[in-house]
Amino acid sequence: MTNSSVLRDKSIVGSPLVHLVCMAVLLFAFWMLLSGNTEVKFVTYGILTSLIATWVCYPLLLVENTEGSRKYFIFGIHPFKLISYFFWLLWQLVLANLDVLKATVSPNLRINPCVVRFRYMADNPMAKVILANSITLTPGTVTMNVTDDGVFEVHALTDGAAEGLEDPSGMPAKVAWLLGQEFTFEKMGRDY
Amino acid sequence: MIYGIPLREIIAFALMGLGLVFLIGSAIGMLRLPDFYSRVHASGNSETLGTALVFLGLAVYNGFNDASFKIIVIFLFVFLGNPIGSHILSKAAYKTGHPVWTKKSAKEVEAFSKRAGEEEN
Repeated sequence: MTNSSVLRDKSIVGSPLVHLVCMAVLLFAFWMLLSGNTEVKFVTYGILTSLIATWVCYPLLLVENTEGSRKYFIFGIHPFKLISYFFWLLWQLVLANLDVLKATVSPNLRINPCVVRFRYMADNPMAKVILANSITLTPGTVTMNVTDDGVFEVHALTDGAAEGLEDPSGMPAKVAWLLGQEFTFEKMGRDY
Repeated sequence: MIYGIPLREIIAFALMGLGLVFLIGSAIGMLRLPDFYSRVHASGNSETLGTALVFLGLAVYNGFNDASFKIIVIFLFVFLGNPIGSHILSKAAYKTGHPVWTKKSAKEVEAFSKRAGEEEN
């Protein structure tokens, strides 16, 4: 069986058993939320399907780092850190949205689009994914391309958005803190 | 209802109204911005907060039950899925060599889109 070997795999960061149990419990909670039915038959179905889905999907949800020496579970994020990051991101979203709204509604269209390039690397490949997704989610910046060696090409709508991108203590540091990782950050200039 | 004031409904309508402001702003941006990439900003991103506020307003209006949890879950999926759509659109345009509008290259981009329009016809 592939899964018993997953349980003994030493290259996975964190405990595979904890990951499996948390995922099964979350899936079952989602099932209960959607069904809203507490009959024994439906609860049994829910337990069985969440266990089977966890068993089948867990090996597919592991990502390797660039050297291939370690495997990370995609959802292996500390829940309290995730909630804190979520609310911080919401607040950034409001600020950036007001900025873009002011720029687009103003009579002389105060925009200055440019392509910002920078390199961002961390051991966990999820750091790049979460950073790219958060950058795209924030108005005024859209990730156009991310290469394997960590070069981000980001389209920024206003000058303020471009400056915010080039600040390593902002979003890059927050994402690294979320995943408990060291990171390297390097500016590569802007194209106007 | 506290002292006869429908507090929950007022909060819900305030949230939904604020969401509408952002949605209208994104529609204005869609019409006014010059090129493809900056329109992706308007259509894809500014919409996220508008949708989020409208969903939050609906959840507040609905009160504390399983339907509002489902609304929150929908909002979370929009939150995760919307940036992926914007990213794929702009990545496809960038890889196929669509020029980026800046203050310097404005004329070239206009010529490019004119040429593309002629090829289509």
